[in-house]
Amino acid sequence: MEGLMRMRRWSLVALFLLLIWTAGGRRDSGITGGVTVVQAFQAPAEAPLPLPNQEGSFKFAVLGDFGTGAKGQYQLAEQMATLYKRFKYELVVTVGDNLYGSQRPQDFNKKFEIPYKPLLDAGVKFYASLGNHDAREQRYYKQFNMDGKLYYTFKPKSNVRFFALDSTYPEPEQIKWLDKELAASNDDWKIVYFHHPLYSSGDRHGSDLRLREAVEPLLVKYNVSVALTGHDHFYERVKPQMGITYFVVGSGGQLRAGNIDRNSGLTAKGFDTDLAFMGAEIVGDQMYFATISRVGQTVDSGVLTRRNVKP
Amino acid sequence: MTLHHNPTRYFGVPLGALGLVAAAFLALSACAGGDKPTAPPATSASPSSAPPTERVVGPLSPADAQALATMTARLGEYVDLHTKIERTLPKLPKDATPEQIDKNQRALEKLVREGRATAKPGDIFTPEARPVIKRLLASVFEGPDGKQLRVSIMDESQAPPSAAKLVVNSRYPDTVPLTTIPPQVLQTLPKLTEDLEYRFIGDSLILLDVHAHVIADFIEHVIPR
Repeated sequence: MEGLMRMRRWSLVALFLLLIWTAGGRRDSGITGGVTVVQAFQAPAEAPLPLPNQEGSFKFAVLGDFGTGAKGQYQLAEQMATLYKRFKYELVVTVGDNLYGSQRPQDFNKKFEIPYKPLLDAGVKFYASLGNHDAREQRYYKQFNMDGKLYYTFKPKSNVRFFALDSTYPEPEQIKWLDKELAASNDDWKIVYFHHPLYSSGDRHGSDLRLREAVEPLLVKYNVSVALTGHDHFYERVKPQMGITYFVVGSGGQLRAGNIDRNSGLTAKGFDTDLAFMGAEIVGDQMYFATISRVGQTVDSGVLTRRNVKP
Repeated sequence: MTLHHNPTRYFGVPLGALGLVAAAFLALSACAGGDKPTAPPATSASPSSAPPTERVVGPLSPADAQALATMTARLGEYVDLHTKIERTLPKLPKDATPEQIDKNQRALEKLVREGRATAKPGDIFTPEARPVIKRLLASVFEGPDGKQLRVSIMDESQAPPSAAKLVVNSRYPDTVPLTTIPPQVLQTLPKLTEDLEYRFIGDSLILLDVHAHVIADFIEHVIPR
């Protein structure tokens, strides 16, 4: 009898804990070896914006592995447009695989211009890097703002400079170019973006070690604070590596569900159950970020401080 | 296409140096596990001080090196032809529309196909070079990362039956996605100029003219099952 009572008590406690857990607006699937992997579910309407949204700050978004032309891409694009209504980001950097499959004029339309029309109409510029599935001719495409180059740099705001790489072909000339450009930049924020991740917990692809060996020393040497990548079809924020924060944002249209290796030891936060993009805002020495899923759920957010801040 | 033997053109190392590679390395087999890639053994062509993204071709016997040198000469001739033809077309603007890109590509495609009207398999991937390429790729796919590489490529290379019949000098099938070419594969194959790319369709290795979107040559069954 006493045993039965104890069991009922524990059942009630368990039910109570379960109710608290699921009512929180966010649901962690569990922490395994320091990995937090968030599962998707319907977010509450008009959730608070997890970014400062300050006037005059530099705001941008990150999107990768997106050009499928499928429903999921369109739904995530709607979330990007929804965010833009409240958070006026100036540009989107793409971390490659901008168009999957055929790349005819109608594909540019279906896989890029239609889903992102609200953003393009609002004057949001896309600055592309190329992935392994992208035809090199994309560099001439006006809306990708690559100026006909496979790798390039641009400065959208005082003290912020982006460097877009072609990581499929990291030829020595490109590495030399990156060395020269990073050395010449005295910007506070140096943000490098490209397709193949130097650090990733992807079961399918994972970290590109050869690329890492070529590129990482330059990122460390020249105080790059953030590197944005894709290729693995999920979202992952990697624990800082030699002071640099790496993001994998290959979750823009293709999803490889459950592909994050929970035991990689790399993951600070992972999301591999739905599509997602990232919004970011630079305020002084801080960069705020929020990763938003296809259903508008914020699956990760936080702030990081740029490297080499002088006291 | 006329043939001119020019072994140094795209390898960046002289043929003699390639010959020295003969006794060298099965580098890719050493890439198992660990957090850092294992550097391939140093050779005169790839000294230990070389950047890690430097291409590594090997192992090569003098006969293999000769075969690849001939293939490289053919690649050079192809690029010369491509460049000559491309110069006759209006330059693509840096802010092109998809229609302009497509129009330019199809115009170049037409001219390249006319310029190589008699092209056939083996014109670039010569009969002597084919077994060497296959062997180099086998060393990658049979290495420790081989299984994962195969899965990665084949997963994205499920070509429809209509594309199964590959034809030299034909347009790359619009319905077939451009597949992953892992860095391990790229580092194993002779280096290409920006006008050309290696791709896979099914288990065939394609030499793709990037600007013209034309299959310049191919080798079937290069990915071991």
